[in-house]
Amino acid sequence: MKKAAILYIDTITDPKSIEDNIITPLLTNKDTTKEITDFITAQSITTKKVINEILIEINKGNVALFVEGESQVYLIGATQFDGRSVEKTENENVVKGPKEAFNEKAATNISLIRKRTKNEKLVVESVVISKRSNNDLYILYQKDLVNEKLLQNVKNRVKSLDVDAIQNLSLLEQQIEERKYSIFPTILYTERPDRATSFLEDGYIVLLMDNSPDALVLPATFWSFYHNSEDHYLRFAYGNFTRLLRYLALFITLFTSAVYVAVVTYHSEMVPPDLLLAIAATREKVPFPAAIEVLIMEFAFELIREAGLRVPSPIGPTIGIVGALILGQAAVQANIVSPIVVIVVALGGLSSFAVGDISMNFAIRISRFLLLLSASLFGLYGITVFFTIGMFYMVSLKSFGVPYLSPMTPTYKSSSDTVFRKVLKNELFRPGYVKPKDLKKR
Amino acid sequence: MNKLTKLGKGVLLIILLIILGGCWDQKETEKQAYVIAIGLDKAEDNESLVKVSYLIANPEAGTAAEGGGSSEPPREIISFVAEDFITSRNFANTVIAKQITYDIIKLIMVSEEFARDEKFIRWIYDATKAMEIRRDTKLLITREDTLTFLLNNHPRLETRPHEYFNMMFERGQETGMMPASDLNTFFRVTEADADLFLGIYGTTEKKEQPQEQEPDQIIAGEFHYEGETNTTQFLGSAVFKEGKMIDALTIEETRIAYLLNPTLSVSDILASFPDPFDENYQISTRISMNGKNSFDMNLKKEQPEIHVNVPVLIEVLSNHSMTDYQLDQHKLNTLKNSFEERLEKLIKKTIKKTQEEYQSEPFGWSLIARKHFLSIPEWEKFDWMKTYPDIHINVSVNVELGRLGRQGDVPSIEGVRD
Repeated sequence: MKKAAILYIDTITDPKSIEDNIITPLLTNKDTTKEITDFITAQSITTKKVINEILIEINKGNVALFVEGESQVYLIGATQFDGRSVEKTENENVVKGPKEAFNEKAATNISLIRKRTKNEKLVVESVVISKRSNNDLYILYQKDLVNEKLLQNVKNRVKSLDVDAIQNLSLLEQQIEERKYSIFPTILYTERPDRATSFLEDGYIVLLMDNSPDALVLPATFWSFYHNSEDHYLRFAYGNFTRLLRYLALFITLFTSAVYVAVVTYHSEMVPPDLLLAIAATREKVPFPAAIEVLIMEFAFELIREAGLRVPSPIGPTIGIVGALILGQAAVQANIVSPIVVIVVALGGLSSFAVGDISMNFAIRISRFLLLLSASLFGLYGITVFFTIGMFYMVSLKSFGVPYLSPMTPTYKSSSDTVFRKVLKNELFRPGYVKPKDLKKR
Repeated sequence: MNKLTKLGKGVLLIILLIILGGCWDQKETEKQAYVIAIGLDKAEDNESLVKVSYLIANPEAGTAAEGGGSSEPPREIISFVAEDFITSRNFANTVIAKQITYDIIKLIMVSEEFARDEKFIRWIYDATKAMEIRRDTKLLITREDTLTFLLNNHPRLETRPHEYFNMMFERGQETGMMPASDLNTFFRVTEADADLFLGIYGTTEKKEQPQEQEPDQIIAGEFHYEGETNTTQFLGSAVFKEGKMIDALTIEETRIAYLLNPTLSVSDILASFPDPFDENYQISTRISMNGKNSFDMNLKKEQPEIHVNVPVLIEVLSNHSMTDYQLDQHKLNTLKNSFEERLEKLIKKTIKKTQEEYQSEPFGWSLIARKHFLSIPEWEKFDWMKTYPDIHINVSVNVELGRLGRQGDVPSIEGVRD
């Protein structure tokens, strides 16, 4: 008969598991020759001798078992952090295709990915990335596909972090990206396990963390922000149709209000006479110059969007009514803006939702304002110059060594899944720009 | 410190860029007066001046948009004497509040009197200098002075003036009632100094006494109609030689010019031919081009020769003689031959007129003839305008019969009367 004690933190452990797997076996065991590790039935059991290491494990929700006369501590896994179950996607919705989304438990997230790629080559490496909070980061990759240099690059960058706490991936993203002031995102953030898995299978690296209902995919190109998982779930023609729509929407968002201002204030001879006269007629009583008028409306639209996002859901519908009233009716009736401007701004605003990725969405909305500004100062010339500079900038960007616009420019061997996609049968290659160990898909 | 100066320089650069480059040529749409048509007339007593008339559209007329509609009239007309239609913009502003702009100008009107003047070409070339005037602006020749024309012109259903002119000219070109007549062609033809230019001919004043005329043989002012509508009519074309108006062509001649001109196309000519089976009646047809004209030119001979083949498609639209030719190949051939003969006769008549009266042609043939010379000096030595009257021109028309109306059959007149 020996004395023993267990030490654990009540709120992060599972009492039932402690009772069933630790206490009951200890009390009922009659055989004195058996080791402790032989009859405890918990999912994991390790031994440790250093107090600091034991503390870390206890902080993670493990149970420490002290046995009289032994110089080591048994650490038994009985963790239970509270969290959500697997729920539906909220941001990257699809009509056709899986609806599962990541949740805040890394273990669940890994399981969601493993469910989709049942292969022992899928490696999950865990790294502690912060000094005080000891946050774990899980690096996922396919061992036989991932480029070693890329992997090493990512690992180095993660290990060189010197911070007290990184709670989740949204914060980690900002810690490891290259250009922190750039308006373009260089790491893809997705809440869809199917999307993360398909990137893994192409030789990308996926990062998971506790407390993050999402995954980071790197490296990311411009196209991965523009794409959507449904593009591939829909049949070839339908998928490309939505791609076309999104592509047009992208340009409509960027250019409608800018081109309207440029054409109306600098190049009125470009407008067909009927339209020009209609614009002139509706602007007759508007007190502001066209540029200011559009700017006011764009600003109002952004306000409504931001307010609609933050508003508590019971009063959500109010925002819709107020927004529609201000934008659609009252402003026009009061001759603050002309009806044509409402159309222009509403069209641009609506199109901006077509690019689903939140980071890219912000990038486009900000560039829209910059384009509008250059259009009101320099007309079409300003738009052209700004767009050209923007293209130069995008071409110069890199995400973990991968050019931002590849495989379009520079060209790489790939399935050329850029603006449009091919028939699945013809998607033969993994993207060459991530330099996978095996380029051919079959 | 270094970083600060760098930032300062950047900000300064951007501010300079905006101050030096931005905004200064911007014009708000509602602060401009849109001229739709410019009229040019001889100034009565001073040779170095012209009378300029403006037709200005009111954007607010005819719009139902919220905040846009008003009961103001759709147009404003002003006419005054000025040096030219460039400086006249400032003079107009002594009366009209908004900045005069030529951005959406549709047509330049010239009174026949001014168009027949030697000096006309000096003023019309101002249009090449003005930045805003487009080369596809139409050139209209009015029989009366342009101010009268503008004042009399009251389109009933097209409130906005540019809409009226746009549709009028578009439809006129399809039916072959008016020539294409844009400024660019005017300048090109004038500078090439070989062909004749055809301008749109219009008037708001009807000529007195309806004469018994064939409907195809009329020009603007000779078409008589009654009812409650606009007084303006555009018919036929004004012929310009070397930048000066010399004559007016009838509808028929204008249409033949369309058929013979390889650079123009016409799609909806409705015309009638004498019925080969009963001379009391006429057959209505729709004529359209059936491919391209082919030219066989032999210009190096003592007497140059041109052979033109005109392929046309003719659809029969009426059959007043009630002849049942639709199933009879023999009768169809007769019909076809009579069309060909008639067309050839008309074309030859028109060509003869151009050779004898004008000494040049409005068919744009010089463009084709030019290809037969190796160098420009050779072509200039040939001197198309001088040689044209002596050229032996042979015309053949190739008629293909199209549909014979929706229903080919007509009842036999004897059967009905029986």
